[in-house]
Amino acid sequence: MNILARTVRAATFASGKPLASVRFYAQEATAPSNILRLNFALPHQTLYRNVDVQQVNLSSTSGDMGILANHVPSIEQLRPGVIEIIENPNTTQKYFVSGGFAIVHPNSSLDINAIEAFSLDDFSIESIKTNLAEAQRIAASSASEEEKAVASIEAEVYENLQKALTKSA
Amino acid sequence: MAFAWKTAGISYLQYAQICARAVRNALKEEQRVIAQRRDEQGLKFAKWEAGKQGEVKNVEFLRSE
Repeated sequence: MNILARTVRAATFASGKPLASVRFYAQEATAPSNILRLNFALPHQTLYRNVDVQQVNLSSTSGDMGILANHVPSIEQLRPGVIEIIENPNTTQKYFVSGGFAIVHPNSSLDINAIEAFSLDDFSIESIKTNLAEAQRIAASSASEEEKAVASIEAEVYENLQKALTKSA
Repeated sequence: MAFAWKTAGISYLQYAQICARAVRNALKEEQRVIAQRRDEQGLKFAKWEAGKQGEVKNVEFLRSE
């Protein structure tokens, strides 16, 4: 017993420091992570579930924003527009969402809820054009106030779609 | 300005519905057919009294033409 205690003490002081303090420096102290954890859900489909991504760019009612890890927590109402998900420096996915909410949590996770989201390739530029013309016609006509309000919402959606598609082409 | 639809008496749910429908209408044919099935939704209710079903009424909250 005595011998054992002496060996331990010898080992302890060989480095000039008590053994305990040498061993327990936290090597896994949480360094601020640069990973954003993304959940992206629609009522009928889950597009991302706990996927680590680098950055997400979205357009909200308070402006266009890019979200990285350690973003300030906030809740944003999405405008009909493009959500750009930079998964890693080589892969970027683009979706057009009809609207919804993005919630930035304090632990670097981001939840996006939208009603409809489609990849830009799924849209037909011709039907956007005809629908936009129709919506603008109604908005400028002598229809009822409510019909005009609906038409101008639709016109905004189609305009944003057109912008998104011409930019990517 | 930001919420012109709100002054026209449209609620957020209705606004979201209108936007979603516009997005569905802009899709290519094959995706559009699938997506537009999601647009059809409705709610009806009937009051039951003394074990008998009353008149069935449709709730036209989310208008879909």
